[in-house]
Amino acid sequence: MQYLNSLKYSLYVITHPVDGFWDLKREKRGSLSAAATILVLVILTSIIKKQNTSFLFNFNRLDELNVVVDIVTVFLVYILWCVANWCLTSLMDGEGKMTDIMIATAYALVPIVLINLPLVPVSHVITAEEGTFYTVFTVISYLWAGMLLIFGTMVTHQYSMKKTILTMICTVVGMAIILFIGLLFFSVIQRIITFIATIYQELRFRT
Amino acid sequence: MGKLKNYLIRTVSAIVLTTVVLSSELETVIFADAPYETYSYDWWGEDIKQPAAYTYSGAYSLTDTPLNDARDMFVQDGKIYIADTGNSRIVILNEDGTVFKIITSFQNGGTEDTFSGPQGLFVTPENEIYVADSKNGRIIHLDASGTLIREIARPETDLISQNQAYTPLKLVVDKSGRIYVIANGINMGLVEFDREGVFQGFMGAAKVSVSTFEYIWKNYFSTDAQKERMELIVPTEYSNIYLDSDNFIYATISNISNEDHLAGADAIRRLNPTGTDILRRLGNTPIIGDLYNASDTAAWSKFTDVCACDYGVYFVLDSAGGKVFTYDGDGNSLFIFGGTGNRQGMLMQPASIGIREDQEKIYILDSQLNQVLCFSITEYGRHLLNAIYKNSLGDSAGAYEEWQNVLRYNANSEFAYIGIGKAYLREGRYKEAMEYFQLGNNRKYYTRAFQFYRKELMQNYFGKFMGVILVLVGALIIWQIVKKIRRWVGEAKCNI
Repeated sequence: MQYLNSLKYSLYVITHPVDGFWDLKREKRGSLSAAATILVLVILTSIIKKQNTSFLFNFNRLDELNVVVDIVTVFLVYILWCVANWCLTSLMDGEGKMTDIMIATAYALVPIVLINLPLVPVSHVITAEEGTFYTVFTVISYLWAGMLLIFGTMVTHQYSMKKTILTMICTVVGMAIILFIGLLFFSVIQRIITFIATIYQELRFRT
Repeated sequence: MGKLKNYLIRTVSAIVLTTVVLSSELETVIFADAPYETYSYDWWGEDIKQPAAYTYSGAYSLTDTPLNDARDMFVQDGKIYIADTGNSRIVILNEDGTVFKIITSFQNGGTEDTFSGPQGLFVTPENEIYVADSKNGRIIHLDASGTLIREIARPETDLISQNQAYTPLKLVVDKSGRIYVIANGINMGLVEFDREGVFQGFMGAAKVSVSTFEYIWKNYFSTDAQKERMELIVPTEYSNIYLDSDNFIYATISNISNEDHLAGADAIRRLNPTGTDILRRLGNTPIIGDLYNASDTAAWSKFTDVCACDYGVYFVLDSAGGKVFTYDGDGNSLFIFGGTGNRQGMLMQPASIGIREDQEKIYILDSQLNQVLCFSITEYGRHLLNAIYKNSLGDSAGAYEEWQNVLRYNANSEFAYIGIGKAYLREGRYKEAMEYFQLGNNRKYYTRAFQFYRKELMQNYFGKFMGVILVLVGALIIWQIVKKIRRWVGEAKCNI
């Protein structure tokens, strides 16, 4: 029941961002399980949107679609955002814990699901001339989510608006740095493994 | 055991026999083994292979004095006119490759006169020959028998400075007798003469586009020494011109920089008599030849010549890759064939392209092989061009049939799907039309078909649908009223 209530509370959060995000954290109205559900819904939305949108509005190559790539992309971006945000805000006197950030970020993504999912069947009954509505609603969904992310960060960490925007820009840079280090790490590990394997091989051949 | 073996042998031989009979009965489609691939670009910009539209069918060369660095060719009424630049003569071949006539000299005011490195020629519908006598700096006008009619000398104008050489390279003469000339080093457009041979001006100069960054860099951040070493920003020169049956001039541009190529700069224009570019660019890809390069250092397509059919399809010759790019009147890439190399049917340095009036044969003049190579149309190419031709006439039933034939050869043809879709759209078979437009990746027509389809559905089902809803709503309202009355009656009863 707690789970359903916290999930239902997301509808309140997206319409009353400041109040909603405050209660989400202080009153413990949100839950990690609800956040995970929202994330799964976002992944599902992106897949359904790519696969089932009408031909008129669908510019994806359906024969080259890879569901795994979609899942990993959304999940990776979400995790990267949360980690980078947490790293930065713990240095910049942010009050949010890791769980707070994860919950707030997931709740901010709800409009993407709520608007884009109904747009998929709608795309099958409108012509290209009426496509403006389709585009407008898509843009609204992303703008809304972006706005919620700003308020979410602001309320969770008790920041001013200026500091929030600055933190968010830094977070994006941080995501890039983490990605870079990660790739570097993989590359180095790969070389070390090859190095050890070569030495082993060399020793085997000598004896 | 023996019975079973017999039975087996009989079945196997029966199967083998039927296969043999069947395969010999199947329509045999034989393509000569072309040394090149034929392909075109689809909606995604990917090169998709297709059956050969034209195949190599022989080459013509002169036996006694071979052609020498010939630069231009004109095909008309079963004759192939060649400007044999290196030998300073005009060669006229018959369609079978035999020599019809060779013009080396002509009588000019009582004395014997000759050409000097003629690089271009044009033949009017009356078979009069105009020759760009390049090194002599003049245009020679001969009649059909090869006698001189007149000589058009250097234009008298202040627009070309006196110390600048005037070297006419290519020329066309339109139906009203105006002469348009490409001259070496003149980048103000085509030199235009009126029918009397009097200089009229320049026409169709290429527009110069300078990027903002380049402008600022050149004007504010470069020293004089740097500026001197920089390339001047000047309009590009045309490499060749062709006059189509509607009196419009196709002009090709060959010296396009790498950056311009990537930005999708235009490499071909269709000029109307006022010099405005009216080429339709409605295709999926820019009209620049090949979209991708095999490597960074490989040359981009370099358009050197063009020829067109009277229904808007035009063939552009690319001297870098030895290819022929075919586009329809809207700028869609139809097919691309040819290549450079030493094998028979490949080109070394293509200079000029010509097409027979019925499109059955394409002739390509190669100035290094010193040959005219012939390419004959295949069944597939004939169906494809026929479909476009019939479509241009408005004969949708005929076009539909031809598109079906095209699909039999090439199931990847987006044009065929779109063509068939259009036919269905006209017939009112909207759902099928939508399917075909989707296969052809055409959203413009898809939405049109979909609009009609939706309207049709609404007309058929809207009444029933609304009827059901009205009945339901009505029932709901009556139910509410009944409930209210009951309650009221109940209350009234209680009050009694």
